[in-house]
Amino acid sequence: MAKKPSKPASRRRPVKKGKKRTQRTGGRRWFSWRFIAKLSVVVLVLAIAGTAYLDAWVRQRFDSHVWQLPARVYARPTELYPGRVLSRDDMLRLLDLMRYRNAAGAPTAGSYAAQGNTLLIHTRGFRDSDGGEPSQTLRVTLGGGQVTRMKTGKGGSVGRLEPLQIGSIHPGHTEDRVFVPLDRVPPLLVKMLVATEDQDFYQHHGLSFRGLARAMLTNLKAGGLVQGGSTLTQQLVKNFWLTQDRTLVRKLMEMPMAVLLELHYSKQQILEAYLNEVYLGQDGGRAIHGMGLGAQFYFGRPLEELDPHQLATLVALLKGPSYYDPRRNPERSLARRNTVLRVARDEGALSENDYQRYRRHDLEVVPRGASPLYAFPAFIDLVRRQLARDYPPEVLGVDGLHIHSTLDVLSQLAAEKALREQLKRRDPAGDGLNGAVVLVAPAQGDVLAVVSSRRSREAGFNRALDAVRPIGSLVKPAVLLTALKQPDKYNLATLVNDAPLKVPLKNGDVWAPRNFEGDSLGPMPMLDVLVHSRNQATARLGMEVGLDKVADTLRELGVKRNIPLYPSILLGSLEMTPFEVAMMYQPLATGGFSTHLRSITDVLDKDGEPLARYPVDTEEVLDSGPAFLIQWAMQQVVDHGTGRAARAALPADVIVAGKTGTSDDYRDAWFAGFSANHLAVVWVGRDDNRNAGVTGATGALPVWTQLMKGLPQRSLSQRLPGGVKPVWMAPSGERRSGEGCDGARLYPMMEASIPEQGDGCGAATRAGKGVVEWFKGWFD
Amino acid sequence: MVQGLVRLILLSALLTGCATRTPPAGTPDGEPVTANTELAGSPALSLLERADQARGRGDTAAAGRYLERALNMAPDSSWLYRQLAELRLQEGDAHAAEGLALRALRLAPDNREYQAQLWDLVATSRVNQGDSGGARDARARARDLRKARA
Repeated sequence: MAKKPSKPASRRRPVKKGKKRTQRTGGRRWFSWRFIAKLSVVVLVLAIAGTAYLDAWVRQRFDSHVWQLPARVYARPTELYPGRVLSRDDMLRLLDLMRYRNAAGAPTAGSYAAQGNTLLIHTRGFRDSDGGEPSQTLRVTLGGGQVTRMKTGKGGSVGRLEPLQIGSIHPGHTEDRVFVPLDRVPPLLVKMLVATEDQDFYQHHGLSFRGLARAMLTNLKAGGLVQGGSTLTQQLVKNFWLTQDRTLVRKLMEMPMAVLLELHYSKQQILEAYLNEVYLGQDGGRAIHGMGLGAQFYFGRPLEELDPHQLATLVALLKGPSYYDPRRNPERSLARRNTVLRVARDEGALSENDYQRYRRHDLEVVPRGASPLYAFPAFIDLVRRQLARDYPPEVLGVDGLHIHSTLDVLSQLAAEKALREQLKRRDPAGDGLNGAVVLVAPAQGDVLAVVSSRRSREAGFNRALDAVRPIGSLVKPAVLLTALKQPDKYNLATLVNDAPLKVPLKNGDVWAPRNFEGDSLGPMPMLDVLVHSRNQATARLGMEVGLDKVADTLRELGVKRNIPLYPSILLGSLEMTPFEVAMMYQPLATGGFSTHLRSITDVLDKDGEPLARYPVDTEEVLDSGPAFLIQWAMQQVVDHGTGRAARAALPADVIVAGKTGTSDDYRDAWFAGFSANHLAVVWVGRDDNRNAGVTGATGALPVWTQLMKGLPQRSLSQRLPGGVKPVWMAPSGERRSGEGCDGARLYPMMEASIPEQGDGCGAATRAGKGVVEWFKGWFD
Repeated sequence: MVQGLVRLILLSALLTGCATRTPPAGTPDGEPVTANTELAGSPALSLLERADQARGRGDTAAAGRYLERALNMAPDSSWLYRQLAELRLQEGDAHAAEGLALRALRLAPDNREYQAQLWDLVATSRVNQGDSGGARDARARARDLRKARA
């Protein structure tokens, strides 16, 4: 008997010394009550210290736990009001994208009902800097491609649908979640959770031996793992504090921590933490945490809107998010879901009727690729860059900011489609031709759409923001504008010689530009230089007004890059990104106002309280006179010049303007053009910078035309600014003429440009009764 | 040709008005320009009202959001640009205020007193940016307009 303890003592190292000592000091008896008492004290002290330590750890971590809430990016909310251009099809498309369900009477948030041309839309509501919108039922009547009538719940005529979430930004970690407070969690979800995972949850103090026993019994009966033995509290401890390794130490820590957690926090707090922490799957590098995001990830809807069988699918995932993944393992997921439904019925959480009804439903998960969360990587990239200027990454990753962006979903989809379809026509195999589109609402500088690839969902090289390419003839309006800013010297009728020219360069070379077609047309009005995009005439004009002056104009228009003063910049050797071209063309579209291009309008905190606004910021960079003249000249490009292919495709009463651009060896094809409410820049080319075989007119213009055609357009204003008059000019460009006189043409002229002398033909009036004829010359 | 005619009809009316310097209908010189003359019948009017209320309680962020939404509905409204300019001035961004006021001027109805008020707004914005020369010019423009009116 005396030998007995010595053997284990040699094996059990931690206590052997003490025991040996006891043996020695204890004399004959191998133990003494004193020894036990001492040992107990030591163990007790250790246990108390350990518990105190664990207790502090549990409380500190629970109290200071910062939910990793990534910033969420939303599209612009759809505004509905009488007169808004919106077809019924587009309206229904939007509702589908936002996963509204068609249900008679639109009874719940996120549902709609169609009664002929009238739609009842039960919105979900959202917060915004102006307070946002409550969840309400809108009655919207559509007809003739627009909203004809509109009534909100309160009887108003203006209402908004909640914005569609288009992305989340979580730098530095991969956890993603949508926090849902307990009072917004469907009670049925909680009941199902408790019934399947921890039936004694409301009775136990962190551990449940009854639960463990029952789970074992249930599993035995079922012949497999149906119920787990851990309580919800234990599972939370495991998820919250401990690693997922199944080690004994972890198991030993888990139990006291669960008890401690229960000691300090209410069941409600524990439940809320559990529901938001629980891991529900993986989406590439993104870990899906919490029921709120789970609902979105698997069903595309807020948690509150899920049906019982969908809630059951989420609960089913708890057993093994990968094993029961409803997308990859639908049979398993379905079986497990039905088990959850059955247990819920057995425990009284679900009626027999409901059980029978919902177990027959399909899983109804949305396909992974269909989520708008990944649909617009190029635009999200822009938002991320603009945000990074104002918010450090640690804020973006954890604070759950709501970012209201300027993206217009329908415009974005139209831009993607235009690029995809037109490039497919040119390059069906998709071998080398790619492109980018930037679409802007010029008045407020809102970026409505960004497409950076014909395969728009592909995240990767952002051609719209990063492809720096020579802009070719897109620069020509800036050259003309530089001349038009000197109205005493130049006007649109001024003749410029389109003939070969040689400009000696500093390095001894000679610059001798050629026209695109290889010919020279001789003297022509400045207007025609632009309309027909003549290189030699533009170069001659540019050299005359001065390279430095042209560079000044480019800077006024918003070009931030270094502009080298080489003559070749006159024909667009200057390299820019499509986004920068949009910035540069924006003052041309707005009659001379440079407006900061924004992709974000508002930032709200996770509770919807406004944090920051990004208001419209605009500056007058061109006088109204030259701004009008250049815009008018660019209208003629579309009506009669290199952009005329667009003219036939667009409605006759919509006046637009633009310019083609093609770089050397057909490497880059551009079109930049605008109506009053849309400015679109299209670039088409190859990533390897080789000959793309397309010009601005054949490669980029078709994309632009399809896009603009698909959007509601407002005409450019034809209202002459003060100091601009229509004048009949003689072909010499130096004398006034009259209507019907030989070669006379009508131009808008700044007063300083109007010659005193007439050519002696006709009325040779400045405007007079010839005003109506103003357009005749151009449109007949 | 058809396209030409459509446009001809559409635009000649506009042009005739401007070229002969007759004020556009609805805002004759002398009658004050108001939100109602500018936005009558537009849904933007209700947002403008809400913007005014928000400004009244000092919530300039909300007011800004309302006005920008209204501008989407009535993009050619000089009045809305003017409201935005005043708001930005109140918020301390005189640079943006000047740009917005100049934009309001571009769209302004042919009403000299209204235009003079906009030049006053430009002048104040320029003073706040330390541009005294520019402010002087703007005031002179306002003065000229008022003189011409008288």
